[in-house]
Amino acid sequence: MTDLLVTGEPASQAAGASYAHLLEVEDLRVEFRTLDGVAKVINGVSLHLDAGETLAVLGESGSGKSVTAQAIMGILDSPPAFITGGAIRFKGSDLLKMSREERRLVRGEGIAMIFQDALSALNPVFTVGFQIAELFRKRRGMSRADGMRRAAELLDQVRIPNAKGRVKAYPHEFSGGMRQRVMIAMALALDPEVLIADEPTTALDVTVQAQIMELLAELRRERNMGLILITHDLGVVADVADRISVMYAGRIVEEAGVYDLYRKPSHPYTLALLNSIPRLDLKGQRLNTIKGLPPNLLRIPPGCAFHPRCSMAQEICQRELPPLRELPGGRTSACHFAEELNRE
Amino acid sequence: MSNSMMSDTQAKALPHATETGAATVVDAAKSDRPRSLGSDAWRELRRRPLFIASLVLILLFVVMAAFPQLFTSVDPTYADLNRNLQPPKWENWFKFGVDGQFGYDILGRDVYARTIYGARASIIVGLVTVLGTTVLGGFVGLVAGYFGGWLDSLMSRFADIFLGVPLVLGSLLILSTFASRAHDNPSAFKIASLVIIALVALGWPVFARIMRSSVISTKQLDYVAAARALGARPSRIIFRHVLPNAVAPLIVVATISIGSYIGAEATLSFLGVGLQDPVVSWGVMISGGITYREVAPHMMLFPGAFLTIAVLSFVMLGDAVRDALDPKLR
Amino acid sequence: MGRYVLRRLLQAIPVFIGTTFLIYLMVWGLPGNPFAGRCGNRPCPDAYIQRMTEKYHLDENIFAQYFWYMSHLVRGDFGETFTGTSVNTLLAQAFPVTLRLAIVAIAFEALIGVTAGVVTGLRKGRFIDNLVLVSTLFLIAIPTFVTGALLQWVLGVEWGIIKPTVSSEARWSELIVPGFVLAAVTMAFVTRLTRVSVVENRRADYVRTAVAKGLSDSRVTGVHLLRNSLIPAVTQLGLDLGGLMAGAIVTEGIFNIRGIGGMLFNAINRQDSALVVSIVALLVLVYLVVNLIVDVLYAVLDPRIRYE
Repeated sequence: MTDLLVTGEPASQAAGASYAHLLEVEDLRVEFRTLDGVAKVINGVSLHLDAGETLAVLGESGSGKSVTAQAIMGILDSPPAFITGGAIRFKGSDLLKMSREERRLVRGEGIAMIFQDALSALNPVFTVGFQIAELFRKRRGMSRADGMRRAAELLDQVRIPNAKGRVKAYPHEFSGGMRQRVMIAMALALDPEVLIADEPTTALDVTVQAQIMELLAELRRERNMGLILITHDLGVVADVADRISVMYAGRIVEEAGVYDLYRKPSHPYTLALLNSIPRLDLKGQRLNTIKGLPPNLLRIPPGCAFHPRCSMAQEICQRELPPLRELPGGRTSACHFAEELNRE
Repeated sequence: MSNSMMSDTQAKALPHATETGAATVVDAAKSDRPRSLGSDAWRELRRRPLFIASLVLILLFVVMAAFPQLFTSVDPTYADLNRNLQPPKWENWFKFGVDGQFGYDILGRDVYARTIYGARASIIVGLVTVLGTTVLGGFVGLVAGYFGGWLDSLMSRFADIFLGVPLVLGSLLILSTFASRAHDNPSAFKIASLVIIALVALGWPVFARIMRSSVISTKQLDYVAAARALGARPSRIIFRHVLPNAVAPLIVVATISIGSYIGAEATLSFLGVGLQDPVVSWGVMISGGITYREVAPHMMLFPGAFLTIAVLSFVMLGDAVRDALDPKLR
Repeated sequence: MGRYVLRRLLQAIPVFIGTTFLIYLMVWGLPGNPFAGRCGNRPCPDAYIQRMTEKYHLDENIFAQYFWYMSHLVRGDFGETFTGTSVNTLLAQAFPVTLRLAIVAIAFEALIGVTAGVVTGLRKGRFIDNLVLVSTLFLIAIPTFVTGALLQWVLGVEWGIIKPTVSSEARWSELIVPGFVLAAVTMAFVTRLTRVSVVENRRADYVRTAVAKGLSDSRVTGVHLLRNSLIPAVTQLGLDLGGLMAGAIVTEGIFNIRGIGGMLFNAINRQDSALVVSIVALLVLVYLVVNLIVDVLYAVLDPRIRYE
């Protein structure tokens, strides 16, 4: 038995409405209920993505970027995670309001995801061909032979040499970069419209990193997909992204086009991040770091979550949570002093 | 971008803002004291009723084994054929100085007294066997795992040979051989030691294997390499770094094994090759009682119940310890 | 893969030789008259002593003795009992019976043990999980002979549901309760092992990927999760054969099954050491062969092992 998504007919279109963005996250709230208390991991995150765009979600460990991605995919472990508010709209339909089965059909066909560690993300006891082909067999009703053929084609598309021979190989027989390509091939099997890449290159070395990023960019172009790139690495992002959303303590603190962000960051956190990149012309001087540690999500500081580490913090920052405000130039920032930073 | 960008707003920042900010960060860090695996495990263990219950039971049995006089004043070897096979005297339960609570066996001996005294043999055999297998197996496994090479191959082959013989089967063989050669009545000590030696001789490879794989994975950890790079002697590395970390799975298996060895001793006694008269153990009692189970089930039931509860408590203890040490299972 | 099998085979041979030599040593190699206590309570018949000494070269040193013994063994000659019966005929009668018993036991372990382990692994923390955990605890703790004696008494004598002892034909239906008794302890272990494996694998990254691919719950659990979770249980089933054989002695003794275990039990009681050695050597051989098969099976199930 196969499941076919009735493509191109989201509920909202049947109702006659068209959608603003391909994927839209609105005021998402997620908390983790643990033995030690409730950790507010996502506190009102809003994003949007259109076809053909690359959105980078940037942040340190613990900022909530992976959880956001998993919430979009609907693969959060619940318990301990609970979605307590907001909406996630794919082509206008709120995913959080769908049934389990409807949600499942969106995965793979509508939105697909690749993960950081390809070795543990792939099933070690099945061949890579099997793992790719099962999507065709189960979701498109293809035969085993056809499925394997399509799998080989996909491996070829992601530039794995000798694709037809490698189809019968197991994940542990590939190198790190090749494995990541296999994951990409698997994610693209059903031609999704959105691809979420959760730190796809963090575990790889630099040259391989560049190859994978190039591959992703090219595939995105060819298929006119929307790509969400989750990372903590500013260097990776600069080449590939169109827009960047910076996350801190479960909130978006700044969002701007890539050039705007790098030229003129409008949030102290973004500024500090950019300042901390080592530069050759400052050789011999101390490296800049951001003082302190990311906040304990069980006890987020009042006011602006970044204020304990912010070199520009004022009294208001301890009291009031700065809202994400629009700034001139089609960008947003969540800082009380965003305008000043933007002007300078 | 340069640092001058921050000048205006920075100048306006209250000087103590960052200090209080830093202070709050430090405070937060202090209240989250670092937790080690050991203290985490202890915290988990204290909470589990299973652990408390098994510990209480084990303590009870150990006291019973060490000071049987606290539980009964009756002589377990005193036989009065006039009262043989008599059923339990329920009215005598919870009274001191009387006998017959569990009935009498075929020779007219008090089953209750024998059950209490039986704890000693059963528990001692179990504990000493585990001690022997853990120390012997642990040592071999440690040496094989740490030094590797031909020493490892040799010792592993050696262990494999012993592993080729299943525990009860092999002990059966050893004990039956020695039993057929012993013409005189051997002492209780000799019998018990023979059983223990047989079990240790066949049981050590299991522990050696566990220790070896544990040592091999610990050996590859970074801090061991660091210790080596700093020039530490092998003995220091082994005792300070490798051993404390490799020993955890061994402890879990050892705890559960106490239960299995007590059970193995009982099985061997049942088969007639383990402990025998004049030694009293639960296995001996059950073995003697099986033939009469239809007419006098109490002969078998009470030692059987004690045996089961004792093995149960060791298995529960091992379970609780393993669950507490393994963060993934919570 | 072929190289892996070959390597394991080559490793098994010295182990077999070592183990059988050890056994032989234990029985025949100790100081003193080797025939003392070998034939029950009486001294051995002279004819027997003479035959054995000739056939197995018992007047030579222990290594020669072992060599001659093994040379007969590998040709399928297991010697004779002190009453002169051929061990081979005895084994031919007894082996199929024990085999049937073992199959029933393994069936119990595989079907009930694994199923219970999977169910409780998926429903961790709920009532069924705690129920199964407690029952497995009891099954592990109660020694086989107690379980056997108890069930025999309750089901056979008190309630009369089954015959207390098994007939000499040992039909399958008669072997159900003894098979359960034999399987009890190992079944409990298999349940626990599978449960832990399922619980661990549920949180594995590849399960998350399978869900992210949009596969149905039944496929994620039934194909991806199960295939990985069952590996430890399958290997354990094979490795526990040693315990199964030891338990068979007890079980066959209690239910009077005329299998190898019963034969061994009687041989020990009658103090017929030659017979004891032969049977134990056979059991060791079976154990090693099964271990080999299990290792190969493990490599088939887990492709990562094939290249070690």
